[in-house]
Amino acid sequence: MKRIHIIGIIIIAVAIGAIIGTVSDSSTYAGFAMAESREGKEFHVVGKADKSKEMVYRPEENANLFTFYMTDNEGLERKVLFNGSKPNDFDRSEQIVLVGKSAGQEFHASSILMKCPSKYTNTSEGIKEFKSASTDH
Amino acid sequence: MQPTHYAGEHLWYGQAGHLLIILSFAAALLSCVAYFFSMREEPGRTSWMAIARTSFLVHVAAVYLVIAILFYLIYNHFWEYYYVWHHSSMSLPVRYMLACFWEGQEGSFLLWIFWHTILSFFVIKRSGEWEAPVLGLVALVQVFLTSMLLGVFLPGYRVGSDPFILLRDHPEMAGLPFVSMGDYLSKITDGRGLNPLLQNYWMVIHPPILFLGFAACVLPFAYALAGMLRKQFTSWITPAIPWTLFAIAVLGTGILMGAAWAYEALSFGGFWAWDPVENASLVPWITLIASVHLMLVYKHTGRALLTTYLLTITSFLLILYSTFLTRSGILGDSSVHAFTDLGMSGQLIFYMMFFVILSAWLLFRNRKNIHASREEENLFSREFWMFIGSLVLVISAFQITLTTSLPVINKVFGTNFAPPVDIKSHYNKWQLPIAAVVSVLLAIGLFLKWKKSGFRLVFQPLIIPLLASVLLSVFFFMKASAPTPHYTLLFFTSSFAALASLRYFFDRMRSKMKVSPASLAHAGFGLLLLGALVSASQSHVISSNTSGIDLGKDFPNNENIMLVKGDTLRMGKYLVTYAGKEKKGVNIFYRVEYYQEDHAGGKLLKKFVLNPVVQTNPRMGNVSEPDTRHYLTEDIYTHITFDNTLEENAPEHEEDHDEYMAPYSRKLHPGDTIIASRCFIILLGLDRSVDKNTLGISESDLAVGARLQVVGVNRKICSIIPVFIIKDNRVYTKDAVAEDAGIKVSFTKIDPVKGEMEFEIYEKKSPPQDFIIMKAIVFPAINLLWAGGILFFTGTMLAVRKRLKQQKEKEKQ
Repeated sequence: MKRIHIIGIIIIAVAIGAIIGTVSDSSTYAGFAMAESREGKEFHVVGKADKSKEMVYRPEENANLFTFYMTDNEGLERKVLFNGSKPNDFDRSEQIVLVGKSAGQEFHASSILMKCPSKYTNTSEGIKEFKSASTDH
Repeated sequence: MQPTHYAGEHLWYGQAGHLLIILSFAAALLSCVAYFFSMREEPGRTSWMAIARTSFLVHVAAVYLVIAILFYLIYNHFWEYYYVWHHSSMSLPVRYMLACFWEGQEGSFLLWIFWHTILSFFVIKRSGEWEAPVLGLVALVQVFLTSMLLGVFLPGYRVGSDPFILLRDHPEMAGLPFVSMGDYLSKITDGRGLNPLLQNYWMVIHPPILFLGFAACVLPFAYALAGMLRKQFTSWITPAIPWTLFAIAVLGTGILMGAAWAYEALSFGGFWAWDPVENASLVPWITLIASVHLMLVYKHTGRALLTTYLLTITSFLLILYSTFLTRSGILGDSSVHAFTDLGMSGQLIFYMMFFVILSAWLLFRNRKNIHASREEENLFSREFWMFIGSLVLVISAFQITLTTSLPVINKVFGTNFAPPVDIKSHYNKWQLPIAAVVSVLLAIGLFLKWKKSGFRLVFQPLIIPLLASVLLSVFFFMKASAPTPHYTLLFFTSSFAALASLRYFFDRMRSKMKVSPASLAHAGFGLLLLGALVSASQSHVISSNTSGIDLGKDFPNNENIMLVKGDTLRMGKYLVTYAGKEKKGVNIFYRVEYYQEDHAGGKLLKKFVLNPVVQTNPRMGNVSEPDTRHYLTEDIYTHITFDNTLEENAPEHEEDHDEYMAPYSRKLHPGDTIIASRCFIILLGLDRSVDKNTLGISESDLAVGARLQVVGVNRKICSIIPVFIIKDNRVYTKDAVAEDAGIKVSFTKIDPVKGEMEFEIYEKKSPPQDFIIMKAIVFPAINLLWAGGILFFTGTMLAVRKRLKQQKEKEKQ
């Protein structure tokens, strides 16, 4: 076997490793029901914030906790605890994507991705991301 | 029905502009065809060549006129044009007009087209017999790019998006009432304006550099294809090398500028977020670096021709792929700053597939002439390790592309992958080890000789850099917070890379050989990695809140902190005060003061003031812009994450303004102090010389003032004088207010026997109105990153010069 073949095999092995790594690291778009059935695993949940229910942000107590209710695309509503300050344009948002995991009947979000209406135009949507604590310093 | 007559429109500019776009498209097409025919002309005949050049010049002239007209429309606020209305506004300063020129897709395509034309002039001037195939291919690319601006309707499909479309003709406006009003223009007094995120000087300089980098990538690709078209499978490499190096230098600078923009002006809290749009420009840069190293391998040893071809071509195809990713709207869910979809995905895919198929076909047809070399190379040679290094870079590019492409994979295979939750650690897991391998190779590679090198000659000069970087890494391991083995390894390899490359550079200088630009670029790359590693892994949030409620591991009580106006809190080694805010136009400037304790006297010394900004924009949403204090060894970054007065349903500022909590009373002797929750109040003494006239009482009434000194938490001192009054045997008080400290004081009683004074203290309700939630991060050693970037750029540009010189000398011989 020539050296170039050995190199080739190593490269292919690493490439397969990268594919497996990406798939296993990737999250899934899901609803609250799915997230609750696999508590502790992180999911992306798409839905709308329920603005008729209370949204609580009391920075004097904890500047890093914002709670609200969200209805996911399957119609299920859950209380959401977001680890971070209340995003600037939260009241204007329409669709939001939560990243986080379920804990009982609550959803603990580590990041909120918002789509605000008419960021640019009426048809296209602007997106803003709010990240909370990044854990990998 | 009578067609509506529209008043006040400047129609001919748009019509001329649209015609010029069609002309530039047609001229590019003609030029492309003519260049290819000219390749088949018999020697001595140049008629096709003349047609090709003339039509290329027509194309260039038309492009410049289009740009001039579009800019003129923006400059004169002709709102009848959708592009002008959509991207600019009256209040926009001239310096940002350039930014709004390329905010939209059409304008950024124009910018890209513009750079191609500039680069083409250099090709015409210098490339000699390579002109026809190379410029023919550039013209072909221009055909595709100008087609993105055509705005022509084919049955069932709109080709391109015309920047000169009228507001009333735009599909978004269809059916709106103003479309049928003749005098609609008199009602439109302002445009929508530039996205506030982009009103920033980085937006003025970053896109032109990045697009110049993108544009330069076409030339290595064109040379590679030209080599196959001319059946000169190897001689294209020499003229392609300087262009490839140029593209690497400029694209790298563009990417770093994007990082600097994110760091300085956007509230990412860092310089790199592995955002798909960032990755999309990083990947071609990585493959281009691999490709130029393989070109060098081929040039010196005649090996790796096939891989050189593959990588050079792939780099350009990846540019097209990144164009597709950022402009088709496919990243919609996963990126913060992709362009909005203009409905051109089909066209973008066609553009990409055309060049994929063209290159694949050419490679397949010429497969016999482009073959891998048969012999084994020496294990101890520069080319072998350069080849390995290039393959490692390819793996890096592959991994980044894979994760970035998840939305594409979902679309194609109907899967449901979301991006990894912790995107940074996902990429770090792969890219950190890869960067470690690359940095070792780039150091050793310099010392290796082509074909065969002696062991001692290679490793002897590496001993000192090796020992020095071991020492540095031990130091890092001891001092750093949470130094994982990953980080320490990369710290070691990248400092080794920087030191070894510098050693090589100075050795060459001393031996009076020519300067080695490569070693400068390598040292810059090592420093860049080192700076990125240290600042990203050692950055720490100093604005951590300690007073809140702990909610467990999911909700660490950190990152954001509440600062009440006048309050001082400890953050890291600083004491930080929020001193107030000031509104200037749409911007609110916050004044955040950083103090440090004087070691000797325990006094507070003001170190610096930061002015983070929130730009208010009711339509597009408020934008928070950080402010950063730069020191040589570290940066202190501050940004406002929340201001309750800017909330849509914020409580009216005035409403609670005078609401105090129930008062409490205190009895004081002169010299006594009251400790209120946000200040100290010291009774200095009595003031019997109160001006009775201003109080509206007569000379016979009694009025005594109390001289109070109020010391705020921020050590701001003010004096207030509440007054005790006896008029007609009844007691009155005149209250005094200390606004900054949030208190009101009434002087209610004097007990002459005990010498005691009684006061009632009203404290403002908590929380006070004026507070901010902010985040402060310290980034150590980030200057190493920028310095490394500058060194890398300098080294690579010097390499361009060196290669051009070599070429000229060769031509003279």
